Amino acid sequence: MEDVVSGAGSMLMGSLAKSKSVKEPASAPRVSNDVSDSDEQLLIAVGNHQDRAAFNALFSRFSNKIYAMGMKLTRNEQLSHDLVQEAMLTVWQKAPLYDLDRGTAQSWIFTLTRNRCFDILRKMKRQPATVSADDIWPQEGDIDSQLVHEEMGTMEVEVSKIESFYGQLPAAQRAVVEQIYIHDRTHEEAAAVLEIPLGTLKSRLRLGVGKLRQMVGTEV
Amino acid sequence: MNIDAKYHPTPEQLEGFAQGSLAPGMNVVISAHVELCATCRQSISELEEAASKEWVRSTPDTRASSINFSAMIDSIVDHPQIKSDDTASDNVPEIHMLDHSVTLPRALAKVASDGLVWKQLAGGINQATVTLDDQTQCEFLYMKPGSQVPVHKHQGNEVTLVLDGSFEDELGHYKPADFVVRTAKDLHQPASEEGCLCFAVLDSPLTFTKGLARLLNPFIRYRFRRATSAAAH
Repeated sequence: MEDVVSGAGSMLMGSLAKSKSVKEPASAPRVSNDVSDSDEQLLIAVGNHQDRAAFNALFSRFSNKIYAMGMKLTRNEQLSHDLVQEAMLTVWQKAPLYDLDRGTAQSWIFTLTRNRCFDILRKMKRQPATVSADDIWPQEGDIDSQLVHEEMGTMEVEVSKIESFYGQLPAAQRAVVEQIYIHDRTHEEAAAVLEIPLGTLKSRLRLGVGKLRQMVGTEV
Repeated sequence: MNIDAKYHPTPEQLEGFAQGSLAPGMNVVISAHVELCATCRQSISELEEAASKEWVRSTPDTRASSINFSAMIDSIVDHPQIKSDDTASDNVPEIHMLDHSVTLPRALAKVASDGLVWKQLAGGINQATVTLDDQTQCEFLYMKPGSQVPVHKHQGNEVTLVLDGSFEDELGHYKPADFVVRTAKDLHQPASEEGCLCFAVLDSPLTFTKGLARLLNPFIRYRFRRATSAAAH
């Protein structure tokens, strides 16, 4: 079944390669909204003479597919809607760059849609900065840097030990550490979840982290 | 840009990339390798053809009701078209090292354009972390000539793409465009004689221990020892 489909596709591409070399007069653009036109013919018409009818046809063939890809990858209606807008804009803008050597039109549109999706996902998943490790662990140049140097490269901490240190923290401090470091919440989010003032959260975090560092420090 | 790479992503990684099913951090590092490697570019375009067929075949032919077709089309066709394949962009194209500059693949230039903050780690390693998603840890690493990373082991897979210079470990010597994959089972000790700039992605889910380890020392993942599993057997 698959063979029949790709066979038909390559026949089409063969005939297209010829028609592409024939320059059509710019004054009389061909109307390409015929349902029998291939994706490639439509895309080339958009690229060669900004054929709006061809663009309309591509739009109705692909917009729902782009939307579906958006929903699959972002699970967000607004982002998927934006994806249709952005991907079809890219199709319009880059159509003059498409040529048959780049593969089928559907693969070309699929790839540019997926790449837009990558960008959207990257923006969406980038989390707001949580507690920076710098707050807790001094960088080179800080007063404690000697300590860092001694410990780095040689320190090994067993997973089970970390877990037991954590278990020794007072419940209130442990709850704060858990929100920030295990659930990866911001200070503000954690304070809201635990229903405590931000200041209280920060001081408990400082105490809890200090204690953990102390326990690790005496163990190695 | 074409460089003969000796080490490549696994077929599964390439397929996941083509289908769009990987975490953003993994996409970026594979995309950067593919940009440099003609062999993988060929594989990817075949995988993309296959993925696009599946995409068209599996999507039901119904319109997304929320889309106002004609308004969207009208706003799109007002834009000028792009006539030449000019890839110039606003992205920072290179990283300046001590004595020379390194041109970054476009996928990484995009990432670096937000600005990199370098931290010095022990052992002659410099690190600039970038946050691309919540499933991976991504960083640029610069190993000074003669530097050595402590023996380490990690949860999940670690992917390292060499951008400039080279590094070596027990299993090989890695040059620009090489894509080095290490799994949780591998224990390794990378070292660089001539210095090396690379981009590394660690894909392990946020776990209890990882969250706590981050608290104690952001670099501690290099030194994790699973004593519990050894003791159990």
